[in-house]
Amino acid sequence: MNADEFTQAVLTRREIVVCVGCGGVGKTTVAASLALEAARRGRRALVLTIDPAQRLADTLGAAALGNQPEELPRDRLTALGVPEQGAMYAVMLDMKRTFDDLVERFAESPAARDRVLANPIYQHVSDALAGSVEYSAMEKVFELHDSGRYDLIVVDTPPSQHALDFLEAPARLLDFLDSRLVALLIHPAFAAGRFGFRLFQRSTQRVLKLLEQITGLGFLEDISEFLLAFEAMSEGFRERARRVRELILGPASAFVLVTGSGSESVRQAGRFLERLEQHSVPLAGALVNRIRLWPPQTALPSDAPPAPADIAQLAAALRHSEGETYPAEAAAQAAVDGATRYAALVRRDMQSTASLRDRLEGQGLYWGRIPEFESDVHSLENLGHIADWISGRSDHSEHRAG
Amino acid sequence: MGDGNQKAAVSAVEGEALIAVPTRSLLERRLVIVTGKGGTGKTSVAAALALGAAGTGRRVLAIEVGPDEEIPSLLQPGAGPVGYAGRAIRPGLEVMRIEPFEALTEYLGLQFGVRALVDRVVGNASFKQLLNAAPGWRELITLGKIWHLCQLESAPGRPRFDFIVVDAPATGHGVSFLEAPRVVVSAVRAGPLHKQTERVEQMIEDADHTLVLPVALAEELPTRETAQLVKRVHLEMGIAVDRVVVNAVMAPPFPDAPDGLDESLARLDPRLRFDSIPSPETLAACARYLLARHRLHLHYAAEIERTTGLPIMSLPHLAQGVGGPAELEQLSRVLLDGGASAESARTGSP
Repeated sequence: MNADEFTQAVLTRREIVVCVGCGGVGKTTVAASLALEAARRGRRALVLTIDPAQRLADTLGAAALGNQPEELPRDRLTALGVPEQGAMYAVMLDMKRTFDDLVERFAESPAARDRVLANPIYQHVSDALAGSVEYSAMEKVFELHDSGRYDLIVVDTPPSQHALDFLEAPARLLDFLDSRLVALLIHPAFAAGRFGFRLFQRSTQRVLKLLEQITGLGFLEDISEFLLAFEAMSEGFRERARRVRELILGPASAFVLVTGSGSESVRQAGRFLERLEQHSVPLAGALVNRIRLWPPQTALPSDAPPAPADIAQLAAALRHSEGETYPAEAAAQAAVDGATRYAALVRRDMQSTASLRDRLEGQGLYWGRIPEFESDVHSLENLGHIADWISGRSDHSEHRAG
Repeated sequence: MGDGNQKAAVSAVEGEALIAVPTRSLLERRLVIVTGKGGTGKTSVAAALALGAAGTGRRVLAIEVGPDEEIPSLLQPGAGPVGYAGRAIRPGLEVMRIEPFEALTEYLGLQFGVRALVDRVVGNASFKQLLNAAPGWRELITLGKIWHLCQLESAPGRPRFDFIVVDAPATGHGVSFLEAPRVVVSAVRAGPLHKQTERVEQMIEDADHTLVLPVALAEELPTRETAQLVKRVHLEMGIAVDRVVVNAVMAPPFPDAPDGLDESLARLDPRLRFDSIPSPETLAACARYLLARHRLHLHYAAEIERTTGLPIMSLPHLAQGVGGPAELEQLSRVLLDGGASAESARTGSP
């Protein structure tokens, strides 16, 4: 699969593209560039970001990055080659609001809604602790997809150590809501502070007794009250969680693995890949971001030291162009050293990414490269450059042989 | 930004001296929690610190908390997994990985004494479902285990480990990791869990015992995240943070060449060709890249210092990457002894 086929398959035939990968590899930037490229191909594309860098947020219209999508200015998009029917939107996830919206949607009455929103357990679950961001990101994707306003949603997943937390979170919640423990906790007798333990199986009773010994009754009562309030809406929630999972793993979605080029991030990408396989996730390919590439149309120099005669010749050329007083020998030596050093970085990146590339290509998956630019990438124009790389409009000659 | 910052960052990179070195050594606290965004080389820093500490004769424990083990093979290429039980990878240096379920099983065992009972509870399907869905307990039990490890004694009054370094989860999770006790203390208002969590919270907030060591890269996103982390952890939560490690800072690429090397090269006749060296255009591109990365690193190193208000320790960019003990030794020399850093800070050059 080449770059154009990959871009075609991912950006024009799907409705959701999920960018996965470890933190710190430029996933947000790549996600935004994918959305821009889709817009260039005439689609109404939305990028959902979790935590964009400040200047990227500015680029995408930071003021607008509330919990509602905002369209990027038409004239800027036109200048970047986005046709009339294409459009690009950006939205930043507001975790707490997404959670609250969910409660709002499924609560059976305003009173039930207020009970949930005021419950201390809910407040902690919804804003303080790890995992909540994954729940809400997937919920937001579903809501945006359901709105039908966008042809394509590009999702920048939360940086996660547990590779697929965002995918597993709704399922975990579902399992939990189905569990006997929940059934027990929401039993009215228990909620009222009177133990209904006798009604339940002994093993579950034991668990509750132990929990109570450790946490005290007050905590279990808070949980119970929370779950009781939540139960009324759990049917809607359950259905929702099931549909989110179906959508994300279904034919309308494609996953793109984003990785850096350093050995640490390639190692992590490898482990990511394993987990994606375990979950039968529809992976379309990987993009290696910020890889050092040798300039086009020239050969990567060999490891052999350059000939002194060539360095002398370079020095002579420098003296000729810069003047007699120019320290040409030192400059020539430094220039050659610089090239050797950069070539070593290029080689290192090639080596560290080789196994990942072989593995992906062996599975018929796309493998794309985005070079490291001289400065940070934040303007819309630079996102356009990245999009050029992703779609194969820019490309370096292959340097595999080294 | 004042000129002072710029100069300070430059000298740190050149390795002449580490600027504004915090007065206390990193080894003065019992517990150092290394935190930072993914990809910053946090794990390498944690491993280097553990290695350096062990080199001083301390009995050291390095703890990983993520799903994967990286430290054992960094310290000793080819080392197999150490797991929850942990293992000495070198004399005086143990490594373990805290697995939340195992830590919970151990905790419940300590609480109730009857192992068979605990196994039945932990094996209970409903309980497992509860744990799978419940956020926060992993962080709490991990910190609880770390607290417990800090209490262990090899003989009365003599701690089992003199120095414990934790490779914490990446920043986003890193903060919720440190926040877990506080949240639980307010949500669970009574009972043993409340009391025990308070003890963990006290340990984390004890500035003589615990230090949080943020690791950043001199790039935009890590710079911003580090500022947020320091604000939250240090200023709002009151946990000790006394410096920021800025990793992989590229040394000045052409210390001996005239300024504007890239421009001079670009002015050469582009048709010039040499047998054994690249074309002028390519030479200029290479020089431009190295100069630009260096400038970017200086800019953000100074920015980290400015936005956090903390001294920074710059670690050199190692051209060959951090693959094993040799590189860790280089890093640990800079971390533990600013004066000896001159040589290692220069190793960015080939």
